[in-house]
Amino acid sequence: MSRPQTNSHVHQDNSVVERRLRPIYDWLDSGNNKKALQECEKVLKKTPTLQCAKALKALTLHRMGKQNECNAILELLTKEIPSDDATLQAMALCYREMQELEKICRLYELVVKNNPNNEELHTHLFMSYVRISDFKSQQQTAMALYKSKPKNPYYCWAVMSVILQATRGEGLKDAQKQKLLLCLAERMFTKLLNDNKVDAEQEVQLYIIILNLLEKYEDILDILNGPLGSKLQCTNIPQAKLEYLIKLKKWSEVNVICKGILIYSVDRWDIWKEYINSMFRLIPAESSISVTGSSGDDADSPDDTPEKAHEFICGIVENGTENGYLLRGPYLARFELCSRLQEKQMNYSDLLGDLTELFIEYFRKFGHKQCCVTDLRSYLKLLDSDKKIDLSSRLIKDVGISSTGVPQTENQMQRHICALQLSRLCGGHRNLPTEHLKALITALSLHYQHGYQTYGMNLLPTDLGPSDPYALMAAHCLYDLALAENSSNCIVVALMVLESLLKNSPNNFHAKLLAIKLYHVLGGGVSAHEMYNSLDAKHLQLDSLGYVHCARLPTTGLFTLCTNMFETTLKFFSSNYKDSSDHLTFSYKFGSFTKIEEFMDFRERLNNSLHYKTVLIDKVILNLVECMSLETLYSLSISTDINWEILRDNHDLSVYNSWDPERIEAPPEDWSDAGDLFLQNIRFLKLRSFVLTGMASAVNIVKSLDGVRQEHVQTLKKLLEDWRSLYEQTVQDNLVPIKQSILPLPLPSRLHGALLAPYYSVFTSFFEFLLAISSDDSNLLDKRTKIVEDELDKLTNVLRENTLKKSNDFFDKRKSMEIAVNCVEIISISCVICALCGELVKPLQAKKGKKKQPDPMGKEYVQRASEKLKTEMGRFCDILQDWVESNPEEELDRKFDNLNLAVSENVFEKILQSYSVSNKEIQLILKTKIKLLT
Amino acid sequence: MTTLRPFTCDDMYKFNNVNLDPLTETYGLSFYMQYLAHWPEYFQVAESPSGEIMGYIMGKAEGIGENWHGHVTALTVSPDFRRLGLAASLMNFLEDVSEKKRAYFVDLFVRVSNKVAINMYKNLGYIVYRTVLEYYSGDPDEDAYDMRKACSRDVNQKSVIPLTHPVRPEDVD
Repeated sequence: MSRPQTNSHVHQDNSVVERRLRPIYDWLDSGNNKKALQECEKVLKKTPTLQCAKALKALTLHRMGKQNECNAILELLTKEIPSDDATLQAMALCYREMQELEKICRLYELVVKNNPNNEELHTHLFMSYVRISDFKSQQQTAMALYKSKPKNPYYCWAVMSVILQATRGEGLKDAQKQKLLLCLAERMFTKLLNDNKVDAEQEVQLYIIILNLLEKYEDILDILNGPLGSKLQCTNIPQAKLEYLIKLKKWSEVNVICKGILIYSVDRWDIWKEYINSMFRLIPAESSISVTGSSGDDADSPDDTPEKAHEFICGIVENGTENGYLLRGPYLARFELCSRLQEKQMNYSDLLGDLTELFIEYFRKFGHKQCCVTDLRSYLKLLDSDKKIDLSSRLIKDVGISSTGVPQTENQMQRHICALQLSRLCGGHRNLPTEHLKALITALSLHYQHGYQTYGMNLLPTDLGPSDPYALMAAHCLYDLALAENSSNCIVVALMVLESLLKNSPNNFHAKLLAIKLYHVLGGGVSAHEMYNSLDAKHLQLDSLGYVHCARLPTTGLFTLCTNMFETTLKFFSSNYKDSSDHLTFSYKFGSFTKIEEFMDFRERLNNSLHYKTVLIDKVILNLVECMSLETLYSLSISTDINWEILRDNHDLSVYNSWDPERIEAPPEDWSDAGDLFLQNIRFLKLRSFVLTGMASAVNIVKSLDGVRQEHVQTLKKLLEDWRSLYEQTVQDNLVPIKQSILPLPLPSRLHGALLAPYYSVFTSFFEFLLAISSDDSNLLDKRTKIVEDELDKLTNVLRENTLKKSNDFFDKRKSMEIAVNCVEIISISCVICALCGELVKPLQAKKGKKKQPDPMGKEYVQRASEKLKTEMGRFCDILQDWVESNPEEELDRKFDNLNLAVSENVFEKILQSYSVSNKEIQLILKTKIKLLT
Repeated sequence: MTTLRPFTCDDMYKFNNVNLDPLTETYGLSFYMQYLAHWPEYFQVAESPSGEIMGYIMGKAEGIGENWHGHVTALTVSPDFRRLGLAASLMNFLEDVSEKKRAYFVDLFVRVSNKVAINMYKNLGYIVYRTVLEYYSGDPDEDAYDMRKACSRDVNQKSVIPLTHPVRPEDVD
């Protein structure tokens, strides 16, 4: 927290004031609000008018949750219109923590009005508008600031504020308005230019932003070529020009510039792509092919045929290596050329020869580098499936390791790994007979062991073992086998492989990621959690990797772990949303105008993360499940305010290595399965959010008096209507779970498990019951009570049937656990609704002088519902107790005995242990829940 | 085989394959954002042909008078893309920006135990300017080498005359 500045305008002697206030800051910083408050009182006793002390008192009171007292002080203080920085900052901080950013603007508006020539206060006002994205006020403030202190940055702030009005404000939906605003920004900037005031690099960048938005690319090129361009200190001018020449489709110039760059930087992939693209754009129409073109080796003339491009590439290859590293650029450029020729259905074999040979040649040159696989991956699509199989076997042959042999050098091992990965990408592992797959797994395991003993000893703990990829691929193949045989045993073996790999390379994050996923496939949440902890994921990774673990935890019944994960995740999101406005103000301060829109987009991406909203709702649901009293219920903030249309899928699925043939076409984020999953997850969350909104309006009904109650009753009725139609729509849509055959894809949506549990019907029966009570209609009430009882019977049946299935397999057991958790969620929250109903039938406190009011008639019915809930929860516990005693039996395939897995801890036992923890937690919830009803 | 381009916020959603490596720290958002807002030209990412992040460098320019210099805050390369000369190209880029900004030298801190990195920096022309005692907190604390390379503006190479005595972290500006 910032301390009072020496330039503060306090009446007392600054050093005295500073010394007096210091303890308050210290207590606040250390989180001791009580002491801070005492210190405030002490200072205010001595100097009752000291504004900063009052502001700090307000902040302290806010942090102690005494909002009313805090508000009162702030209100009075605002009327005094303080002008010293320390007081204002303390007030601003207080408003920020209260999430009342508008009030900071109002405060500084008053202050600036009083001190019209104070540059610093003006700046604070400007930044306060930046925080709430009020672009128009930003513009006005910046202009006023510029008028009183004519400095370029202030003028640029005004211009930037106009640009934002065009791109994000009024101009967003009105093209004409946008154009008008951008022209205004341009005129404003031209004025600066005409006055010869443009000096800094950031100012030129701002100008380019405007011209780019106006699509005046020629003008930008003029800037880059002219004297203003020389102010762009850190910009590589030829490369900067490229972007706009491409937009202007000036392919000859693009081509020539690219050639110029590539001759010196043969490894610039972005430039290679533009070079080849521009060449294709330059190919003369067939009718006008002229033979008179100059020879291809002239660097100043563009290459306009594939032949010339090929010649250029070969020339660079022949010029050899530049700095000791064998550079892949030109070699890969040939694949790009080939790929584009095939796209255009032009003949490539005359130019490039046999395609398979091209792959083999690349592999011979770069197969010992790990990147060889990702380099070649996307070009495998040039081969049909026969050729892929052919390539795959030729690569393996080329490595020169016989089926019983082992690599003789580390280099050969890496080439072997590369060949295996490419072979899997080529589909070499698809549809293998299980006997072959088992043989492959054994071979991979042995290769791993051999590689570890020969090349993997004595490494640093931070190193990845050079033979680790064998074991990772063995785990992938075991997953294939598990699906082929529909048996979870192979996944247990896969986890043993991974656990033993991690004993040797404790920091191999690929293995950890894989293990987390596989533990979740089997329902071993506790082990998954340990593994996740060792990954040390934090900050933004809570979002990008949230799907790996956090999103699966709610299906495990591990409520304690859920609580912790939810808390960490939500803390990250909410604090970063608050902080992210600071970064925006920094961008203005440093003139990084190129970053402003990027920062704003990022801020929205973060705040609209589907994972964020899911955790938010999961957390409230969990609070309801654990809710032990109506006071707790009333203190929860249940409302959900989600803009469904703009939710974002921020998952980084590419973090999982994949050598599945599907990976050739696109990264997993772009697969249709990922898109389907996203939509299913949104649907799931929408349905789930009805539980909360329903609960919120039920609370409103109970808390409101007769006059307003009817309004809330209508809200709940409408809500149940909406819920029904979305539920029916979802059932009708019959959404299919995404496929599980590819390891990097997340587990299927929780939607499917939720539809197998009667969320909608049980909750509706309870909400209808509550409505019946508030309507005082005894016939209706009797009917509704019966429905509640029937629905609860059905719920118990769902749980019973679900767990009665012989769970000889962890696949089944995991699915059953997810449904069981759902059933427990339903019955626990039903208890809370029932308790609310109880509140509705409580006799009203008889007021003095009035005669005693009769008991509301619903009491006996609530009693009935409550008894039914208790009975069913008792049954739940019995069923769960039986279930925990029926466990899958360990019957690991003897075939894998030779894998030589030295895992001291038994994976199988660990997973069983996890189930038993879940079961205990669930039963505990149910047992304590009974108390809520008594 | 590289595309060097300015690091953007969205890259933070894709840098897991680099950052999950135990030698690379994942910082709070503010840390990255502060660099992006203040020194965007010094924060570059290397992208593979298939669009994966191979590595990145973040740095800044600071100092007064002859202490005006470029600083390497973080340099990291994904395990999958090592031994391709990537770190050298990223360092080149940062040195180039520092030259353009008329800096006198470029400096960086490295754990004294990180032999691989120290050797790489030496090969790129960096010298150990001084040792900073217990710069990295941990159990136990670890010393850092402050390594430097002079820019062309420091004609007499004054900035790279090694100090004979180690310094404490509080004496490093």
